Amino acid sequence: MENIGLLIDGFGHILSWNHILLMMVGVTLGILVGVLPGLGAPNGVSLLLPLTFSMDPISAIILLSCMYWGALFGGSTTSILFNIPGEPSSVATTFDGYPMAKAGQASRALTLAFVSAGLGALAGVVMITLLSGWVANFALKFSSPEYFAVYFLAFASFISMGAQSPFKTLVSMMLGFALASVGMDTISGNLRLTFDIPELIKGVSFLIAVMGLFGIGELLLTTEEGLRFEGIKARVKLAEIGRTLIEIPRYWLTIVRSTIIGIWMGITPAGPTAASFMSYGVARRSARDKSMFGKGDPRGVVAPETADHSAGTSALLPMLALGVPGSATAAVMMGGLMIWGLTPGPMLFTDRPDFVWGLIASMYLGNVVAVFLVIATVPLYASILRVPFSIIGPIIVAVIFSGAYQVANSISDIFLVISFGLLGYVFKKLDYPLAPLVLAMVLGDKAEDAFRQSMLMSGGSLSIFWSNGLVSGLMTLGLVLLLSPVAFWLVGTLRKRRHDVASHGDGNAAA
Amino acid sequence: MSENSANGISRFVVELGVAALTGAFGVAVCYGSLDIGAGWTDMGPDAGYFPFYIGLLIVFGSLVNIAQAFLKHRGTGEIFIDGGRAKVVASFLLPLIAFGAISAWLGLYVGTALYIAATMFFQGRYKWWIALPAGLGVSLVFFVVFEIGFQVPLLKGPVEAWFGIY
Repeated sequence: MENIGLLIDGFGHILSWNHILLMMVGVTLGILVGVLPGLGAPNGVSLLLPLTFSMDPISAIILLSCMYWGALFGGSTTSILFNIPGEPSSVATTFDGYPMAKAGQASRALTLAFVSAGLGALAGVVMITLLSGWVANFALKFSSPEYFAVYFLAFASFISMGAQSPFKTLVSMMLGFALASVGMDTISGNLRLTFDIPELIKGVSFLIAVMGLFGIGELLLTTEEGLRFEGIKARVKLAEIGRTLIEIPRYWLTIVRSTIIGIWMGITPAGPTAASFMSYGVARRSARDKSMFGKGDPRGVVAPETADHSAGTSALLPMLALGVPGSATAAVMMGGLMIWGLTPGPMLFTDRPDFVWGLIASMYLGNVVAVFLVIATVPLYASILRVPFSIIGPIIVAVIFSGAYQVANSISDIFLVISFGLLGYVFKKLDYPLAPLVLAMVLGDKAEDAFRQSMLMSGGSLSIFWSNGLVSGLMTLGLVLLLSPVAFWLVGTLRKRRHDVASHGDGNAAA
Repeated sequence: MSENSANGISRFVVELGVAALTGAFGVAVCYGSLDIGAGWTDMGPDAGYFPFYIGLLIVFGSLVNIAQAFLKHRGTGEIFIDGGRAKVVASFLLPLIAFGAISAWLGLYVGTALYIAATMFFQGRYKWWIALPAGLGVSLVFFVVFEIGFQVPLLKGPVEAWFGIY
């Protein structure tokens, strides 16, 4: 297998003490942002990104991707010990993880979560190893219309698969596109949408948006809810870890099923959050004995964790091979790639195989490092959460402000972060999704370039998007997804009406 | 906004307000795009060609959201935020804005130290001899990490200049 050889080369690139150290730093920082409320994976990666501008790309991506793994693990820790999901994607873990911890099985729940998460992540990396070369080769056939079709498909699937109102998703996404187009136009060099405000000439950085939306916005929500940590004393006992490891094979079916769900949701832009919820739902529905779900069923921990991590890892495949990130964090990392002067997409595999395979190799190693580090440091992080919020909150704010300033050494960005924070707070409370906004901000320029180049090729006719089998297939799939909410709504109302008629006929309404 | 009323603001009003705001933003995007040319030039689509349609989609989405607000949230009695909670949020938000303003003037290190010390003193109810060193300590850690560790400078103001740090 060609890919295996490339992977071994990749390991050759990353196996140095320097890189292993970076991995540990990345994972540690990641667990920290995952544990702290208000800081999540996308935000943490954005904050760290300005610090990597001067690093070589391989070290930088190792640091950032390991932070991502760490954050995913950190999120599960707080879910289980404090009933507070550190990450949106670990909400489903609280359903059974916290009851388990309350019943005195904290070590068991944590070990189950970390090991199944690690297995899920490894499955995701194996999938990337096997498929990425093939996907990249396939994508080499793409030209502008195909690229636009892929972007279109990605955004259409957001609208159709999101849990929120499709129109709120649409508005959020289009705001992202509009913000991405502020500043210099990459093709004509004209200034646009700056409304003669000099601060807007350099454009609005997606990093600022992420820090505001996910960072300050989250903190405002946390303050409003008056966060209280009522944690469970966590002391991870070695004997219990061993006993739990032996019971893991019993959940093989749950793990396999959740991995498949996670990989699929990760490649498509549905993302880890949707994956973990769906996997939890499936595990519960298919279980023969449902009585323990919600009260501390181990499968209720294994299922969302496996799916969460396999989705988080798989989200990097479309980012690397197509240049379409599968999650908000992957979008931020892709923005990082562009800042380091790399172009995500199929050409990256031929131009910088050392980078691509170095990253993939670091994913194997990073996840293993993460599992060990997280088990070793659980008590430490649990004690951090006992520090009162009136100290932690302001420190997080100060970190975010410093990060925002470092993006472009501009003080106006700090006020922009505050505005984005308010926007994020209000949007979150009104159920507007935030991930599409970030994704659109990162992809905005690329999507627009692809669209304009296609228009140039066709002289302004939209028929170019149906000019060959590949592009029309992608576009049609996108349109089907886009229209699917309408179809579901129609089916729903029809069925309801028929149901009403039927229940009237019977005389007794079945719930 | 009447944030101090006893019942708070209803979700319906906020839904309408946000949708109106995004709609207005959409109109501004359309206007800005037309301003620079949203048509076709010799070199292909003009700079405002793509954003113009984006603006239209924002307006369209916002209009539907306004309609849905009337359908889903009108008269449901859902509260967006009540007086007590608004006060809590403001007590976090206002120092935040002050932090930004002070940092623009005195630099981020001084701003950070003051902000942390002030929030600990006023909100955390710590004694000043705990709060002040804590603020200075965080600021110092930032200096070591950013300025010396990663060599990415933060904004410095007149106070650092007195000490001869640039």
